[in-house]
Amino acid sequence: MTETPLLDVQDLKTYFFTRTGVVKAVDGVSFTLEPGETLGIAGESGCGKSITALSIMGLVPKPAGRTVGGRVLLEGEDLLTKSSQEMQAIRGRELGMILQDPMTSLNPLFTVGNQVFETLRQHSSGTSSGLRARALKLLQQVKIASPETRLRDYPHQMSGGMRQRVVGAIAMSGTPKVLIADEATTSLDATIQYQYLQLLKGIQRETGLAIIFITHDFGIVAKMCDKVIVMYAGRVVESSNTRDLFNEPAHPYTEALMRSVPDVDEDVDFLYSIEGQPPALDQLPEGCSFAPRCPYVFDRCLKETPVPLRAGPNHLATCWRLA
Amino acid sequence: MTLDTRAPAVTDTIIEVEDCQKHFPVTRGILLRKTVGTVKAVDGVSFQIRRGETLSLVGESGCGKTTTARMILLVESPTTGKIKFKGGDMAEFTPADYKEYRSSVQAVFQDPWSSLNPRLKVGQIIMEPLLTNQRLSKGETKEQLESLLQDVGLHSFQANYYPHEFSGGQRQRIAIARALSLRPQVIVLDEPVSALDVSIRAQIMNLLRGLQERYGLSYLLIAHNLATVRYMSHNVAVMYLGKIVEEAPTQELFTNTQHPYTKALITASLPSHPDRQREEMVISGEVPSPLDPPSGCAFNPRCPFAMDRCTEETPELRELSTRHKVACHLY
Repeated sequence: MTETPLLDVQDLKTYFFTRTGVVKAVDGVSFTLEPGETLGIAGESGCGKSITALSIMGLVPKPAGRTVGGRVLLEGEDLLTKSSQEMQAIRGRELGMILQDPMTSLNPLFTVGNQVFETLRQHSSGTSSGLRARALKLLQQVKIASPETRLRDYPHQMSGGMRQRVVGAIAMSGTPKVLIADEATTSLDATIQYQYLQLLKGIQRETGLAIIFITHDFGIVAKMCDKVIVMYAGRVVESSNTRDLFNEPAHPYTEALMRSVPDVDEDVDFLYSIEGQPPALDQLPEGCSFAPRCPYVFDRCLKETPVPLRAGPNHLATCWRLA
Repeated sequence: MTLDTRAPAVTDTIIEVEDCQKHFPVTRGILLRKTVGTVKAVDGVSFQIRRGETLSLVGESGCGKTTTARMILLVESPTTGKIKFKGGDMAEFTPADYKEYRSSVQAVFQDPWSSLNPRLKVGQIIMEPLLTNQRLSKGETKEQLESLLQDVGLHSFQANYYPHEFSGGQRQRIAIARALSLRPQVIVLDEPVSALDVSIRAQIMNLLRGLQERYGLSYLLIAHNLATVRYMSHNVAVMYLGKIVEEAPTQELFTNTQHPYTKALITASLPSHPDRQREEMVISGEVPSPLDPPSGCAFNPRCPFAMDRCTEETPELRELSTRHKVACHLY
């Protein structure tokens, strides 16, 4: 392990300033990532996991959204102080991103080859034959069969799994150090998702890429991630290495989520269900935001906002029960 | 054990599908439309939906599970084959039979954002099917509405709200209340929880199971998530390219899996714990185009056990043991 981690996010805060009030979409998120490591950011819709990713990439929707605090250190350099031009160069070369829906992240009017060339040209100069060779290599890396003919295809001529591979190839074109996969396999069929995840694992083994999986599915975390942070209403409620989280979830929210998911491998008699729903981010309750749904709630939870407390080695949970 | 709680209560068949096919012509040209091929979306499926039980159809996109559901909902008519409702052949239905069928078979769809009319109040949405079919006094309407709202866990004051004022889980409750309004016998559930948040899914699944128990409902569940299927269903049919490749009671299917495709689906589904190791999945490639399906067994190009026979002869769905059917030359 090096002294400075590859990516060090400290107390990241991204707020949206709307007419009805301030929405604290990301409110104090911290984590570190080393080369070759895989981090999962898990949570439900609206918990701030995608905005965390966009904040790292410097792509928070403007003007309503602004990153108002914290630091995003990539190899020691704070990305939040970079100009938008500098960020343009960092995106793709240092940070890559794969989004959920490959049909909307690819341009339907250009061939796949065109779109791969475009990003390659952004990051490097070279002759067109050199670019072509690199594009072919990228498509081979993501295991697309007969890449020569596929370069001439338009996105609609490809299946969903193949399109997502192309998006992966584009994300890898600048040989980034960190890849952020935001629900990248959610729209894929089961066997295709499996193949895609295996592919990412393979690329990671070869290149030492660090991957951040943003997902609502704990199955992805269980299968892919070394460590995980669980988010609820803009805050990190639990951070841990994956195995500890699954063995002993320390936050009531994590625990409840795990008990409410059916299992493929075992018969479940009756699923636990969490009553209620996540709070609106501009009307957060006082104290712990999970308190209204929490089965263990006590006085302190309703008054004071909990801080991360130790639940084990490398295992923190934002819950007063640990105090 | 799930086997006990989900054991079949009564076993009479409500809907029986016999060797149904649905072929869609593929045409070319604008004026002189020539048929250049057919997509066999559903290519000879047979199954039964029994009273009080859930049958799940699982498979990847394009396997024909939704087309099958649409035939049962009378949105598509089968190209060949029979659908029987309580023993009566649909081909011989009188208009009155159709009316009864339409009331008895209801549906809940995946996306509660697009399946509810945004311009109607929730009360109107829920009561619309009932008021179309029956004459009710004001008092009866109110009474019915309240009992339906209560059934799905909503408050009666919420009837005056519009759908956009509800969260996804609540909207799905509204869709369920509407489906229940005609006191149906069968509800087709097309991916009822996959658009919902994780913490909400369990609420809706438990609600559906509770309603099934209370009203003796039969469900036809279309889903791709095997964990959901295992929790919800009594019987499972796995489809691949328009055909059922394996069908069995839920526990049997998951513990005594036979067809290589079913095995692959189970291997590919995500584990519930990082220590749960699965054997490597051996299938590769993608689902072939239904326009040009492979000869013989449709799964043979991806199957690790493919033999010569598999490319020549289409395997039939045969009973392996009681109620466990497999379409594979290995058996």
